[in-house]
Amino acid sequence: MGKAKDRTGPLARRPDNSAFKQQRLPAWSPMLTANTVLPFFYLLALMCLLLGVWLLLTVQSTQELKLDYTDLGSCSECYELRKNVSYAEQGCRCKVEFYIDQTFKGDVFFYYGLRNFHQNLRRYMDSRDDAQTVGRESQLKNPSTYCEPFIKDKDGVPIAPCGAVANSMFNDSFSFNYQTSSGHIMPVPLLRKGLTWYTDKNIKFRNPKTGNQTLAQVFEGTRQPLYWQKPVYDLDPSDPTNNGFINEDLIVWMREAAFPNFKKLYGILNRAGDPFTHGLPKGNYSIQISYNFPVQPFQGRKLVVLTTLTWFGGQNLFLPIAYLVTSSLILLMAVVLTVAWWKFGKDGKNMKE
Amino acid sequence: DDCLTQRMMSHPQLYIPGQLNLYFSKKAFFKCAIHSCYSSLVLFFIPYAALHDTLREDGKDAADYQSFALLTQTCLLFAVSIQLGLEMSYWTAVNTFFVLGSLAMYFVVTFTMYSNGMFLILPAAFPFIGTARNSLNQPNVWLTIILTSILCVLPVVTYRFLLIQLCPTINDKVRQARATPPPPPRRTRIRRTSSRRSGYAFSHTQGYGDLVTSGRFLRRPAVVSWSPGFPPVGRATSGFSPMGRSAGYSPTGRPQSSKVPDVEATSLQMYRAIKDPPL
Repeated sequence: MGKAKDRTGPLARRPDNSAFKQQRLPAWSPMLTANTVLPFFYLLALMCLLLGVWLLLTVQSTQELKLDYTDLGSCSECYELRKNVSYAEQGCRCKVEFYIDQTFKGDVFFYYGLRNFHQNLRRYMDSRDDAQTVGRESQLKNPSTYCEPFIKDKDGVPIAPCGAVANSMFNDSFSFNYQTSSGHIMPVPLLRKGLTWYTDKNIKFRNPKTGNQTLAQVFEGTRQPLYWQKPVYDLDPSDPTNNGFINEDLIVWMREAAFPNFKKLYGILNRAGDPFTHGLPKGNYSIQISYNFPVQPFQGRKLVVLTTLTWFGGQNLFLPIAYLVTSSLILLMAVVLTVAWWKFGKDGKNMKE
Repeated sequence: DDCLTQRMMSHPQLYIPGQLNLYFSKKAFFKCAIHSCYSSLVLFFIPYAALHDTLREDGKDAADYQSFALLTQTCLLFAVSIQLGLEMSYWTAVNTFFVLGSLAMYFVVTFTMYSNGMFLILPAAFPFIGTARNSLNQPNVWLTIILTSILCVLPVVTYRFLLIQLCPTINDKVRQARATPPPPPRRTRIRRTSSRRSGYAFSHTQGYGDLVTSGRFLRRPAVVSWSPGFPPVGRATSGFSPMGRSAGYSPTGRPQSSKVPDVEATSLQMYRAIKDPPL
């Protein structure tokens, strides 16, 4: 049998005698032998242990403060007020105080949190129009039918931005104050920009082309969602570049959370001036809250979260603990396998044919 | 690979698993179902708990729906690819290319679907824009993937290793015998009187004329000892294995007439040679 044959006769259609076609390729055949599996298990247990310890130390170095203000102190009156939908137009302000006993060193991030709000409900998530929020002219006054019933108001004027997601935007606002040691109350400066992903702010959300019109003129012929108090082109009066669909708070809200208990970035501490250059100093703080978002209809809760961060993220102890548990499980398995191998399989005792 | 004609003929016990329906029975299916349930729970709850209250390093959102979906998908792909790698008995270049290639293809497709270009063409169809870029550069995402893969794959490895140690199947024994040839024969077995240990006695098969004339046996490495006068023990097999197949390739060996240098005789043949009584 070789290649030297003519291509006629009964053996003419025989495949080539090459390594590829005759399935004779060089191969590595891994086998689960004791001297590969057991060291691997022990090594893996050691690595998981080291990783777990390192992550635990990293996470422990973060500081976090969570404050549930749904019905805390003077906010309980606002909570009662918001139970009744007919008072929705009426504003309500309340004040909440807290104390930080250890300085928050480094960058401090401020979040608002919600509990029991399912942004991951499918019909809710479908109720938006990405083509409208990317600034397409054709969709501005003619939004997608997925936004039903938040698509037109009772006069037939289209809504921009349409859909349930935009409609339910979180509209509480906070202003933080710090009481210095001399008793003087000073506001805590927050940066309210740079809260979003770069791709969200610059690509996913764009205002319709303005040309030589103002933003308000571009949005003429549409109206704001029914639950909003301000139109979309006036969401941030202090910063003209933060209006329209590219408003940072809107973008942060539109990125739906995966779980019913979530938090979203509200602001970052501005460490430019004293006494906040090294973080949040310890002491008494208070928050003035403009309480608008009703949570009683879905038995939810509202929180404010302050946290410092590391390269690993916030204070989530799951992964370090999971690694430590996995490491001990692997070690246990390795010991069991070693015993099994020693008693039964060593020197090929079990391989007698 | 393990249906090599040569091996099936010399080890008829390899047919037993098929006859007893060992590998495709209700019991096997049940084991499979248990493994799937366990993997599904791991593949959901580990990413859930890891992303539950977490943030990116710069404070921005990390626990959003799209990042969670991407993380779960990626964990699944890695767990499945590693499991597939374990199932493959023979890692040829082609196999390796396709397994690693499918993993690479997953990333290619994901990044393409989540790219700016696709989004700007059809915004409603590609809402996940930017998720891959922003999520996969977070270390805790990759640590979650590693943890999930470990938790999915190690029970399988443990179970198989235990099974090999405690009750090896005929397949395991045959593979072990192929991989670790038995110790070379004792050198005192030079008994010229039993020259019929060679296959020459069985003249109704093709025999080893070509082997002898090619001189191939002269180039064998010094695992086996032989003395001039009769061929090395390695070639002494029963007549049921007329073709000299090699051990290093899969699954069929070399045809007998091509001259391939420096190939040791099948370790299996050597194994059998020791066991055969002198003829």
